[in-house]
Amino acid sequence: MSEQPVVYTLPVLPLKSAVLFPYLLMPLSAGRPASIAAVEAALATESKEILVFTQRDPDVDSPTKDDLYSIGTKAVIRKMNRSGEGHLELMVLGMERVTLMKLDTSEPFLQGRAVPLPLPEDKGPEIEALQGALVELAGEALTLSQPNTPQELRGLIASNDDPMRLTFVLSAMFSLDAEKCQSLLEAPTRAEALRMLHRYLMHEVQVLELRNKITTEARSEMGKEQRDYLLRQQMRAIQQELGEKDGEHAEAQQLRERLEKADLPEDILKEAKRELDRLEKLPPSAPDYNVIRTYLDYVLELPWKKSTEDSLDIARARQVLDEDHFALKDVKERILEHLGVLKLNPNAKAPILCFVGPPGVGKTSLGQSIARALNRKFERMSLGGLHDEAELRGHRRTYIGALPGRVIQAMRRAGANNPVLMLDEVDKLGHDFRGDPAHALLEILDPEQNKTFRDNYLDLPFDLSKVLFVTTANALDTIPRPLLDRMEILRLAGYSEEEKLEIAKRYLIPKQLKETGLTVEQCVLPDETVRKIISGYTREAGLRRLERAIGGVTRKVALKFAEGAIGPFTVTLPELEEMLGPEPFNQEEARRDLPAGVATGLAWTETGGDVLYIEGTLLPDGKGLTLTGQLGEVMQESVKAAQSYIWSHASDFDIDPSLFKSSGVHVHVPAGAIPKDGPSAGVTMATALTSLYTKLPARSDVAMTGEITLTGLVLPIGGIKEKVLAARRAGIHTVIMPKANQKDLRDLPEEVRKEMEFIFAQRVEDVLQTAIPQLSERMNANKTRPIIHAA
Amino acid sequence: MSKQSRSWPSFLAERPTPWEPSADVYRTKDGWLVKFDLAGVQIGDVAVTIRGRRLTIGGVRRDSFLEEGSSYYSMEISYNRFERSLLMPANLENARVTIVAREGLLLVRMITEGNENV
Repeated sequence: MSEQPVVYTLPVLPLKSAVLFPYLLMPLSAGRPASIAAVEAALATESKEILVFTQRDPDVDSPTKDDLYSIGTKAVIRKMNRSGEGHLELMVLGMERVTLMKLDTSEPFLQGRAVPLPLPEDKGPEIEALQGALVELAGEALTLSQPNTPQELRGLIASNDDPMRLTFVLSAMFSLDAEKCQSLLEAPTRAEALRMLHRYLMHEVQVLELRNKITTEARSEMGKEQRDYLLRQQMRAIQQELGEKDGEHAEAQQLRERLEKADLPEDILKEAKRELDRLEKLPPSAPDYNVIRTYLDYVLELPWKKSTEDSLDIARARQVLDEDHFALKDVKERILEHLGVLKLNPNAKAPILCFVGPPGVGKTSLGQSIARALNRKFERMSLGGLHDEAELRGHRRTYIGALPGRVIQAMRRAGANNPVLMLDEVDKLGHDFRGDPAHALLEILDPEQNKTFRDNYLDLPFDLSKVLFVTTANALDTIPRPLLDRMEILRLAGYSEEEKLEIAKRYLIPKQLKETGLTVEQCVLPDETVRKIISGYTREAGLRRLERAIGGVTRKVALKFAEGAIGPFTVTLPELEEMLGPEPFNQEEARRDLPAGVATGLAWTETGGDVLYIEGTLLPDGKGLTLTGQLGEVMQESVKAAQSYIWSHASDFDIDPSLFKSSGVHVHVPAGAIPKDGPSAGVTMATALTSLYTKLPARSDVAMTGEITLTGLVLPIGGIKEKVLAARRAGIHTVIMPKANQKDLRDLPEEVRKEMEFIFAQRVEDVLQTAIPQLSERMNANKTRPIIHAA
Repeated sequence: MSKQSRSWPSFLAERPTPWEPSADVYRTKDGWLVKFDLAGVQIGDVAVTIRGRRLTIGGVRRDSFLEEGSSYYSMEISYNRFERSLLMPANLENARVTIVAREGLLLVRMITEGNENV
């Protein structure tokens, strides 16, 4: 081949962004005047040969030698056609690789001189291996880029035994960019070309894989909703095949059937139907779907018109109430009254009762027995610590997880619109920035408004007027006035010792015996023992501790039986002390022989009544009035009122007026740690101060209570029952109380009334005459006032 | 992807380098006659070789009708090197070969006189 150096002098066709490989036929388009001229010059030769070089920068219009890659291809123009736009459409066949030696730009077209640049003859296992790998890789790339490549094409690739032809075919096939093609063309050896192409194809495969992945992902993303829809359709088809009704509509259908059957008020039915229509239009996957469904469930389950029939048998109701609770006459009467009203007027509004009393007196259980007596459903909810208005009135449905308020929930549980609904601990409602539940209660408990109670969740008017509301509270002072105003207050004062004994014998002992598995014969608790438990171990207004103490005794007896002892046991006093330990409370005994300046008062506490001593002492050279013992404002004022009264009547009591100037007074009310307030200690203050100034001691066997005015009137106070019981507990049998409270004595058990002596005072003088006997003598010397004694 | 599918026909359209003339093969009384469609080819530019059963014809078609001042408007005929290889039914190495150009056809006659090693 190389007898003499071959040099081609031929027109040059610059390519903008393509590379013509030897062995390959390539369509080209020549548009630039110089290119057209070059093609025409080439066609004007016998052999139609032309040199094809690729431009380094495709944007250059009139390339010089430096703008062209120096390695190109000598080619033959196979076909030529002119397109409408004056372009030449060519079919060019690459012949052999050449190096451009010289480029002549003087003619209208580029004229180049080039010499062949054959590849060195390299053959061997490496090339074969590379070739095999390349074919495989190409197959892979083809599968990725064009999954339905005709089989012949793959065959063609595999059958290319010339490594260079394979290289060129593949690079054209995968449309490698011009730069890569050029580097393949320039490869110094076959092996190098194969390696290069392998690298390029590898990259191509990776790009394709990535692209496929992205496409697949994008497609799956878009397809998800459609896929869900399709699956749902299929599910429906399957359900229909199986004879099941199709899911979502079955549900709506079911709800509709229930709606037809449910006896709903007209407007409620309309609203429910509207919601149901909305539900049917929604796919079950819509977030609103479940919200509406739950809502409809609720609407359907509420007892809009359903009510239980009241048992109007008054005798039976009385029996039930008496069975469950001893005493509590007022409350029982009130319930029976309502029953009587219902008998005459079935549409009567239910009263809203409020049981007030110390813990453990049976407020909650009374509610239950009211329900039992009336044969109504009983629902109870505790309001203690409730501080969110929404708890009562519910959340609007727009909130996630919204539920109706507790009132509506209780109605649903009750399944009737006339249950006894007990709102426990109404005095312990909290309130914070989320609102005040007491205000929501105002609506619920107002018989005028609760006919159309609107829960935020339901947003439908529900009639609560048939509900018998019973609230309970330990004290009234924390209940807001407007709320208090709506309720009928029924006081459950503490029980007296006799009542407790009776309750223990009737209810507590049998109950505890049953719990421990003992029979009435096996364990006998004599009255004496029970009394001791009541007075020595459980000082309280209610019964809880008493019940626990009895429980403790019965358990100890049960243990003896379990250990093999043979009964029956009678728990005597010494045994009781052995069982329960020493008495935690000493009998609150009245102080004997009070010094001058001390008087016995009576106080009402949440746990019942208490005896209270008011101590006063003169401070020689002291000034003013010192008050200690956690006295509230009202109590402090009542001390001052008492003092002023005594100062102004000093002459009546033979008090040396100079004392007022020369000495200060200190008044202390033990126990110092317990806060006290209220006006009812007025008479006691007056007695203590009078005793102090006159230096005459007050009687220690007389306790007193009552508010005083500056002019010496004694005004009525509350809590008479508790106070009298407390005095009796302390062993004081004479109680001075305001005349106006005389009526309250009927609350006291018969035997207490018999045992006690009551003195009813209208003026402070009445009190003082009884409380300070020596003073009475002094006063009688001055003038006489009538003292009214109890019958 | 469309880039690639567009480029396939470019190398599949024809058997590349060099171009191949069409051929008819005849059985004659005394041997074989192969007729090539090779108009405009000078007989001096053609070489015929026989290796066993393989008959190969190669050469160059030069464009000899170039008039001064004329230029191509379009071109469909292939010029320059051509080559065609045929596998004959018999070994023709010992045949007598004559080449005649007539009316645009190139006739290659191989006379074996029945002396063929089929």
